[in-house]
Amino acid sequence: MVPDISHPVWLQVVTGKKPIQSSKATVNLMIHNNKSSYERDSSPENVKQMIAKTHKFFSQFEAIFPSEVNQISQ
Amino acid sequence: MATKISSKLHSVSEVQAAIAAGESLFLAGSREALSQLPRGNWVGGTISYFMSEAGGVMSDDRIFTTSIPDFVLQVETAEYGTEDLAKLYLDAPEHGFTFLALPASSAVLKTFAEEAPNCDGFLFRPVVGWVSGVHADRIGIDSPAVFNGKTGAVLQDKAVALHIELPSNKIAELDIVNIFEPGDGDVIRFQKAGFHVDDCLIGGKPVNFADYIQQMALPTEFPLVGDYNGSSINVSFQKVDSEKHTVDLFAPVFPGVDYRFAKPVADYGQAFGQVIAREEKDSDFACNCILNYLYGKLEGKKTGHVTGPITFGEIAHQLLNQTMVRLYLRDIG
Repeated sequence: MVPDISHPVWLQVVTGKKPIQSSKATVNLMIHNNKSSYERDSSPENVKQMIAKTHKFFSQFEAIFPSEVNQISQ
Repeated sequence: MATKISSKLHSVSEVQAAIAAGESLFLAGSREALSQLPRGNWVGGTISYFMSEAGGVMSDDRIFTTSIPDFVLQVETAEYGTEDLAKLYLDAPEHGFTFLALPASSAVLKTFAEEAPNCDGFLFRPVVGWVSGVHADRIGIDSPAVFNGKTGAVLQDKAVALHIELPSNKIAELDIVNIFEPGDGDVIRFQKAGFHVDDCLIGGKPVNFADYIQQMALPTEFPLVGDYNGSSINVSFQKVDSEKHTVDLFAPVFPGVDYRFAKPVADYGQAFGQVIAREEKDSDFACNCILNYLYGKLEGKKTGHVTGPITFGEIAHQLLNQTMVRLYLRDIG
């Protein structure tokens, strides 16, 4: 199950401190875009936007990326 | 109810009948073949190369049809230019996917390739498709085009789309099949996005990219492989100009991505066959790259059991090169 958006794991996910291993290109493009965005702008405002976007992504695609959601939930 | 046309190569008359019966279709064929079709709920692009059930084939008188399943809720055709391409993601259904075709060497392709990753809706509204082309021996002579079957327009400077809304028990998943892996050479970075490159960074130091390729005698039939969190995304070489010291690519490179030259692949058909053999389900749509067809000498050879157009660029969210793209419509819930 996708953790609530207020869960601290999302900060770790978007800043790359919690690596997500995936064979799915769609997931890896999302993770890569987060990494690039954080490298360009690590402000709290941008991080908040990244968390919202990443939470929405895994909520929308939970059914096809269960392994990745499981990694986030653990 | 009449049986829907199957997703494979068909004669022009078979496709004409399917359109007349009201089917929604995503089509690939020669300009001559597509020009013979009536108006209807279809879009398509020019291409004469295909992965058929018998193997790689070139044909000007057959059309590869991708049939839209009965369970979809809605299908809408649309066309976009450089000025309104971002609207693609606003028009795309919240739950569904979009088939997209763009003409090779066009401004709208350049805009899509460079800007799509920055658009709201990127990755959230799956976009899959390909780049239209011409005969390999007519590049620079003939013009690639896309067709909007709804309006009858034949376009060389616009993209055409089929926006497809899915029911809540289905979801679209895009997959890429890349037979290339990063080699063990230098990590190469670029400071700006683009198809046209002069300098790159190697070990953090600026180096002219064209000079580097020539000095290292690197084979440009194999792509650059970008590392996106472990997924390999290819960028293929169009031209290395030793006089101007520039490199032209078939897709843009991006800053923040580690690139390496690919490990050479000896047998493309076998490489695809090995990767595809591991899959449990047939895809609902697939396309493969013309460079794989030409460099891999795939005419008459099978790439696993996958069929579809062989194109001048592949789209799975963003523009890809030397890659097979597949769409799966999965059951959920």
